[in-house]
Amino acid sequence: MLSESTRMSSAQEAAYRIQYPNSKKRAVKVIALDKMSARIVDEVSRMEWNGATFFTSLSFAAKSKPGDTSEGMQAWLEDLAGKTQDLVTEVENADFVVVITAAGEDARAVSVIADACALHNKTLVGLVVPQSQTSDEQVTHSLNHLRPFTRMLVVASGIDYVEAMLHALRA
Amino acid sequence: MLKKEQSDLLTQTGPGTPMGEMFRAYWMPALLSEELPEPDCPPVRIKLLSERLLAFRDSEGKLGLIDEFCAHRGVSLWFGRNEECGLRCPYHGWKFDVTGQCVEVPSEPVESGYAKKIKLKSYPLIEKGGVLWTYMGPPEKQPPEPEYEFCSVPLNQTFTTKRIQESNWLQAMEGGIDSSHVSWLHRGDLSSDPLFKGSVSNQYNMKDLAPVFEVVDSEGGLLIGARRNAEDDQYYWRITPWVMPCYTGVPPRGDHPMHGHFWVPIDDHNCWAWSYDYHPTRPLTDGEVTAMKNGKGIHVKYVPGTYIPLANKTNDYLINREAQKAGRTFSGVEGIGMQDASLQESMGPIVDRTKENLVGCDNGIIMARHRLMKAAKALVEKGITPPGVDPAHHKVRQAALLLKRDVPFKDGAKEALKAKKGVRQTSV
Repeated sequence: MLSESTRMSSAQEAAYRIQYPNSKKRAVKVIALDKMSARIVDEVSRMEWNGATFFTSLSFAAKSKPGDTSEGMQAWLEDLAGKTQDLVTEVENADFVVVITAAGEDARAVSVIADACALHNKTLVGLVVPQSQTSDEQVTHSLNHLRPFTRMLVVASGIDYVEAMLHALRA
Repeated sequence: MLKKEQSDLLTQTGPGTPMGEMFRAYWMPALLSEELPEPDCPPVRIKLLSERLLAFRDSEGKLGLIDEFCAHRGVSLWFGRNEECGLRCPYHGWKFDVTGQCVEVPSEPVESGYAKKIKLKSYPLIEKGGVLWTYMGPPEKQPPEPEYEFCSVPLNQTFTTKRIQESNWLQAMEGGIDSSHVSWLHRGDLSSDPLFKGSVSNQYNMKDLAPVFEVVDSEGGLLIGARRNAEDDQYYWRITPWVMPCYTGVPPRGDHPMHGHFWVPIDDHNCWAWSYDYHPTRPLTDGEVTAMKNGKGIHVKYVPGTYIPLANKTNDYLINREAQKAGRTFSGVEGIGMQDASLQESMGPIVDRTKENLVGCDNGIIMARHRLMKAAKALVEKGITPPGVDPAHHKVRQAALLLKRDVPFKDGAKEALKAKKGVRQTSV
C-alpha cells in the first residue's frame, strides 16, 4: 500500500513500537488440591507476585456435590494466613484459576472448583507435579482426575516450572 | 511474558552466548544436498548461529564447512576456485581443503612448511536424508549422527525444503508448537490443500475451535497434546513432539505424508525454516512431490534461484483481501508456510516478550522456554549435555488418534509416538 507510512517490521521499524502497558493487572487464584501440593503452593507463594493469591486447602459442604453449579453451592478455601474464603466469590473475582496436585494424591476436589469455574465461566488450568518417587501410574491417575475439568493440563517438571508458568501468565 | 534478560538468553545464539553454546551441542541442518550437487561445484555461503561460513564439495566429493574468509587478507572464499581437492582463493592463490587446512601458499616455498601453520575454522558436514548436517561444538563432544525419521527413510520417501525467515528462531519455533492456531490461521487450507485435504481429522479440527491441551515432558523435549471432542466417548488427539532445541513434528492427517520443521538460527534476526515431508512406509507419489515443489502443504514458492519465499515482506506476502473476505484464506496470505511466516515476521525480528499476554493454552510455549533456559544454564554452568542431543531422542513421531476419554495420551499413544522402521504412522 503506497499510501501507508510504515512497512513490515524491520529491526529499525521495531523501534517505533508504541510503549505503553497493554494489559491490566490480573487476578490469578492458585489452589492446592492436596496436602503435598499445599507445600508446593506455600513455597511458591513466598516468591514475588503481581497480585496472585494462593490457597492451601479446600473444604465444601455436603450439598456442594460435583456438578452443583447453582448459586447456592458452598465451598471454602483457606488462604496462607489461615483465613477462610468463599470459593465461589474467589473464582468470580479471578481472571483464571490454577489448581495444583502432587502426582498420585487425591485430586478429586478439583470437580468442586471446576463447578465454580463453570458457574462464572472461568478458565481452569491444572498442574500435576511429580514427586521424587512418583510412578508413571500415579501421574496417569492424577491426569485422569483433572482432565475432565481443565482447559489446559500440564505435567510440571517441578516447582521451578510452577513458578515459571505463573510468571509467564503475569500472575 | 518473559523478562528481557530471559528473552535475551533464549534468542541470542551467537558464539559465547548460553543458547549459542547449547545449539552448538547438536547436529543441525545446514544445507540441502541439492546446494552442493557434485564434486567441484560452486561453493555456498551460509551464515549459521551468527558465523559466516562457506560450504563446498571437493573433487573427491568430500564435504567441507569452513570460515568464509581467507586467512591471508580476509577476502571471501566464495569467489574461490573449487579445484583439485581444495578451494583456491582467487586473490593470491592460497588453497584450503575441506577441513580448513591451508595446503598451498604459492608465494612461499613448499619446504618452508608455511601452509601447514595456517588453518581456517571448520566444522564437520555430513549428508543424510537429502540434508547436509553440521555440528559446530567442541570436537571432543561431537554426538552420534542425527536419527530423525524423516532423514532415515529411503530418499524416495522423503522431501525437504528450506526457506529464509526474517525473524528470530524462537518465535518461529513457538509457532510450531502452538497447534491452537491451526483451526484459525490455516482453516481455509485444511479442505483445499492437496497435502491436507480429505482427512477425517479436518472435520474434528473445524468442529471444535477451542481444543484442550495436555503437555508432558519427553526425554528429548515435550509432547504437546491437543484434544477435541469426538464420537462415542472418545477424544480426538493431535500430538506434536518437540525435540530440543528446534525440531517439531506436525500431527498427521490420513495417509498424507507427515511433516514438520527445524528452525535454525542464521543470526539473531533471521532463521532457516526447514520443512520436511516423509512417509514411513511408502515412496512419496509424483503428485505429492509435485505439490510440495509447487509450494503446497508447508512448503513455499520461491523467488527463482533463491530460498527466499516468493511471497515475502517486500510485497506484503501478496496478500489477497478478496480471498480473505471470501474465507478461502483466513489471513489473506496463500499457503500454510507463508501464513505462518508472514505473521511471525510481522512480530518484528525479535518479538518483545515483555509485552505479551499469554493464556492457559500457551503452556506448551511456556514449558518449552522453561526447558530451554534450564538446559542452557545446566550446560554452561555444569557441562550437562542437553536433551535432544542423544539420537535416541530423535526417534519420536507425531500422531493423531482417537482415544477413550479416560486414557491419557501419554499412555494411549505411547507406541504411536515411537518412530519404527516399516511401521505406518498413527493417523485418522
